[in-house]
Amino acid sequence: MGLKGMFDSLLGRSKLPPSNTERLFAISTAVVTMEVNLNLHSSGQAGICFKSMSLSQYENTRKEIEELLSYSTQETGTNFRIEKDKYNFLWAILDDNDFEDLVTNIHMISQTLIEQGFSEQILCAVYRFESEGPVYWIYNFKQGSYYPFVPRSKQERDNSMELRLKALIENELPVEKNVEKWYPLWGMPF
Amino acid sequence: MKWKHDRGLEGRMLLTLFLLAAVYLLFLAFLFYSGAPQMFMLLFIGVFMGAQYYYSDRLVLWTMHATIVSEYEEPELHQTITRLCAIADLPIPRIAVVNTSIPNAFATGRGPKNAVVAVTTGLMDQLNQGELEAVLAHELSHVKNRDMAILTIASFISTLAFYIVRYSFYFGGMGGMGGRRKESGGIIAIWIVSLLVWVISFLLIRALSRYREFAADRGSAVITGQPSNLASALTKISGIMPRIPQDDLRSVEGMNAFFIIPAVSGSFMNLLSTHPSTEKRLAALEKLQQELEF
Repeated sequence: MGLKGMFDSLLGRSKLPPSNTERLFAISTAVVTMEVNLNLHSSGQAGICFKSMSLSQYENTRKEIEELLSYSTQETGTNFRIEKDKYNFLWAILDDNDFEDLVTNIHMISQTLIEQGFSEQILCAVYRFESEGPVYWIYNFKQGSYYPFVPRSKQERDNSMELRLKALIENELPVEKNVEKWYPLWGMPF
Repeated sequence: MKWKHDRGLEGRMLLTLFLLAAVYLLFLAFLFYSGAPQMFMLLFIGVFMGAQYYYSDRLVLWTMHATIVSEYEEPELHQTITRLCAIADLPIPRIAVVNTSIPNAFATGRGPKNAVVAVTTGLMDQLNQGELEAVLAHELSHVKNRDMAILTIASFISTLAFYIVRYSFYFGGMGGMGGRRKESGGIIAIWIVSLLVWVISFLLIRALSRYREFAADRGSAVITGQPSNLASALTKISGIMPRIPQDDLRSVEGMNAFFIIPAVSGSFMNLLSTHPSTEKRLAALEKLQQELEF
């Protein structure tokens, strides 16, 4: 925590880190290694999760995202749906066997949200892979890095597998080094 | 979201901190020059407050009968807090629950890395998801702003003054350090000054505490993006809700629509309280909501 952070605390300023999409594309090259070396296969699904709000400006943004999606998915042949989970967060969920198209669409949605001023309200982007069970790679926009999330039954995650995945893919994918920031995401709609 | 800084609030906070520091420095200088035997008390209280600060989380949990709950026991509460932490970029705190129907929440701990956020079962029962989120975001803002640490440090010398007021005659009775005759006059002077310092710093700390509450309300609005959720949560918790008619007016018998809560307010009460009045908080949140919409 720097001097600036101290000063912000002292004055009780609440600042949220903005979203950083810089390393979002890193997963499109890492996917090959995942297939070959880690035996992880994309399930063809990805999603982006953001905080739903009740503002007129926000409703317009949501409409715009839906329009953009229906336009762009015609081009790429991606199926999409928009869903609200039980925590009142919104998900744009994409379905496409071409991994490149998934990444492109995720990037497009995040850019739209950021341009409309909702940079702070994006929670994460998630790519679903399959191994013995589901394996998620979650992109944290605040950190600009990925982390693995391997849920098992009943609020338990497979930490040893997550750490193994991190070790094996680190050179190709910017993985979050601070495990405190590997936020678990339960109740994902895909 | 483009949030403007609340310059007014920040200015008042800085002024309060400045006044507090000034009072403390003068007091320490006075103690030093009066050759008070109280110097060793400084050390004693330092150790005491240090321990209180260091063990604040355990202490508060113990006094409030709060139990730490695992992700397994309270999955939804955990997940709600986890998501707010991800948005605010905080480590996930330990989460505790107090078994009482009174709706309330608090946060403690000396910094973001060892924070505890606690809610009562009443809070979870009475608020909807959006309102609960807003209250949790308020508590997480306290954590982010390190309010526990700031208020502990701010009350350090105030506590010293308080102990001198309470116990200086005992120490005086023992003849101080050297047992000189002229000490008794000195003791009285020290006692009066300490009393003054204690009263002034107490009021300043209370003011600071109220400003921190406003800042945390603001933080909640920034994290959730919905100031109105916190406003409705506060309304529910403070029991103003009954005043808002839920039923069709025709079904409410004549007078009931005009309920008036006996409000305890007045400038003196406001000076002593740790929280701003609900009305003031609601007004501030309404301003934030307007700032968002237009």
